[in-house]
Amino acid sequence: MSISLNPWVWIAAFLTLSMMSFLYKDNIFYKIGEHIYVGSSAAFMLIYLWYFDVKPKLIDGFINNTGFSRWILIIPAFLSLLMLMRFVRPVAWISRWAIAFTVGMGAGLGITGLLQGFLVPQIKATILPLYVSGHSTLMTIYLSLNNILLILGTLSAIVYFYFSKEHTGPVKKISQIGITFIMVAFGASFGYTVMARISLLIGRVYFLLHNWLGLV
Amino acid sequence: MREFLEKAGNIDRRIIYLIIFLAVATTILVKARFKSSPLPEVQRSYKIINDLPSGSVVMFSIDYDASSMPELDPMLRAMLRHCFKKNLKVIMLGHWPLGLPLGQLALDDIAREYHKKYGTDYVFLGYRPGLQAVMLNLGKEIRSVFATDYKGTPLDSLPLMRNVHNYNDIAILVGLEAGSVGDAWVQFANARFNQKIILGSTAVITPDLYPYLQAGQIVGLIGGLRGASDYETLVEHPAMASLGMSSQTVVHVLIILLILLGNIGYFATRRKK
Amino acid sequence: MKREVPLFITFITGILIIIALFIPHKPFGQLQTTFNDWLIIVGGFTMILGLDSLLLHNWEKIKRKREGWLSAAFLIASFFITLFWGFGEGIFFHRNPFDASATFLRYFYTYIFVPLQSTMFSLLAFFIASAAYRAFRAKDPNSTLLLSAAALVMLGRVPGGQAVAPWIFAFVFLLLAYYFFNESKETSGTQQTVYIILAIITLILIYPVFYILLHYLDGIADWIMNIPQMAAKRGIWIGISLGGIAMSLRIIFGIEKTYLR
Repeated sequence: MSISLNPWVWIAAFLTLSMMSFLYKDNIFYKIGEHIYVGSSAAFMLIYLWYFDVKPKLIDGFINNTGFSRWILIIPAFLSLLMLMRFVRPVAWISRWAIAFTVGMGAGLGITGLLQGFLVPQIKATILPLYVSGHSTLMTIYLSLNNILLILGTLSAIVYFYFSKEHTGPVKKISQIGITFIMVAFGASFGYTVMARISLLIGRVYFLLHNWLGLV
Repeated sequence: MREFLEKAGNIDRRIIYLIIFLAVATTILVKARFKSSPLPEVQRSYKIINDLPSGSVVMFSIDYDASSMPELDPMLRAMLRHCFKKNLKVIMLGHWPLGLPLGQLALDDIAREYHKKYGTDYVFLGYRPGLQAVMLNLGKEIRSVFATDYKGTPLDSLPLMRNVHNYNDIAILVGLEAGSVGDAWVQFANARFNQKIILGSTAVITPDLYPYLQAGQIVGLIGGLRGASDYETLVEHPAMASLGMSSQTVVHVLIILLILLGNIGYFATRRKK
Repeated sequence: MKREVPLFITFITGILIIIALFIPHKPFGQLQTTFNDWLIIVGGFTMILGLDSLLLHNWEKIKRKREGWLSAAFLIASFFITLFWGFGEGIFFHRNPFDASATFLRYFYTYIFVPLQSTMFSLLAFFIASAAYRAFRAKDPNSTLLLSAAALVMLGRVPGGQAVAPWIFAFVFLLLAYYFFNESKETSGTQQTVYIILAIITLILIYPVFYILLHYLDGIADWIMNIPQMAAKRGIWIGISLGGIAMSLRIIFGIEKTYLR
């Protein structure tokens, strides 16, 4: 066992325990830790903006490029300036022009990405044979049943979330099958979510026991 | 008996917190290890990278931050070890600014372990905002997005980058995901440019990525700490993820028993009413 | 002007991106690449849009000594310390603050930022355990199915789970049989017979369930993830993506204007 002598590790351990103190009761140490995190995250974004956006793309781009590819940078520079006008109350409305650009791009890219990258491939992947031949009768039944369940599960889950028609008659029956599949999916998601959350705790406890206290 | 069961269904939350903490701490302290065989999708991811010829370029995208570090950092380190062992070239970039330094630290650590040279064996590009715009423009020319690496060195002066221009020159893209960036990689890099993608994800979003695996839009999926631990087993370098899985087992059993206890208390109370 | 110009910009950019998907040649393909370039530059500035309200709100708290003013002081102090430290690396040491040799990365990020962020999220482990204990009840067939799937996946995806799961499920089946026997004592006639039969069936099923879980739990968890779970998620996400496409179209055609506020 060799407890760490690095003051930075002690600072990290203190901050870790401050945040964990919230489990007993909300207290000043937790609040301070939380506010330090928020304040430094905000500053982080500014630092990133300069070192990974403004400097390499605008400033270095303007210095190193020539001709048209240099002067065209005035347009995004102008749009960025418009975005910053949001901080100046009297002309804050002009930032909408820059925001409109980002929103329009986002909407266009969203549609194309979802159509080409999700809807079409996923629908294609749902078109499966209902009969799949295996190396034995049991395997044939297993593989065929899997495909049938896949198609049934996908379609019934879509029907469950279709609210333009009242869920009566056959629609009700199909959506009830859908909710069965959805419950299995949510159960599996819960299981994986528990795994994820516990992993985060394992990481912190490992830091305390290994890096700080040297017990592991 | 009924009163005991009712009380069992009403334990103070702080006692539950303490039990969970002690369960995790104890299993880490005793270094318990349980064996398991790697999941098929992790084995597939391992095989794909293992079969790459020496000198192939693998691009890593760091799309997580410290809140998902315990799951994805071990995964990243295991995969980097694999890549460097196989003499594959590594390019790293990211879309989560708050987490990118984690990727950089891991890359520097593992590269040092394998005596790899920056610029020749691995390059760190950094971050650019714009997400889908970045992914689309990378497909045309990497230099249109990253004219320089994170230090400001022009890409053409880096030996590794001389013959790498777009996705055609990248054998595999490995996305380490804690959010929806993985979906964007699939929808843009794979759908438009047929880029082969392996996704390593936190356990929270892993179930949502199975449709991509079944549709063939991704070629491998490494989910959560279990996936990281499996990959460590496959590269024969058990580390933090493998150590953490035993705690995972104990806490999972504990939570199931707590749910059981809660239900017993609930049904005992319901009966009484 | 104040609304018409932004709506026009949104329409033009959105439509261009959609057209460029179908006609990737000149001029649409090139325009898209250029617009993407601009988005990379302009998009970065969206990261800092909330800065003014964050700093002003906390400054007001300190100025008026409102409740929580000390925490607000730490927020503003940490903001400026981070800012000066990060930019100081570039100004005084001529290096990127994220360079391996930079103190910003080696000390601030590693020992202050990462512990705060990761510990904050690790608290969720406790909350999920407590919430599961308090709220997860097998009240009806659907919630029972959810719990069963969760238990099978939770135990099937961890090493050693295959050894423990049969015992847990056997115990659950035993409890269920006890429950049915108890219910049969409270009822009479056909209902009593049904409960007794259910109890007997539950007892008989204990061994087969035990055997199946002991040998096949990994495969069962795999099957749950790859078939029913995947199918339902695909259905859910198809619905979400249709909604996303509809919303994006509304934004492009100016029906949805909330972003202009």
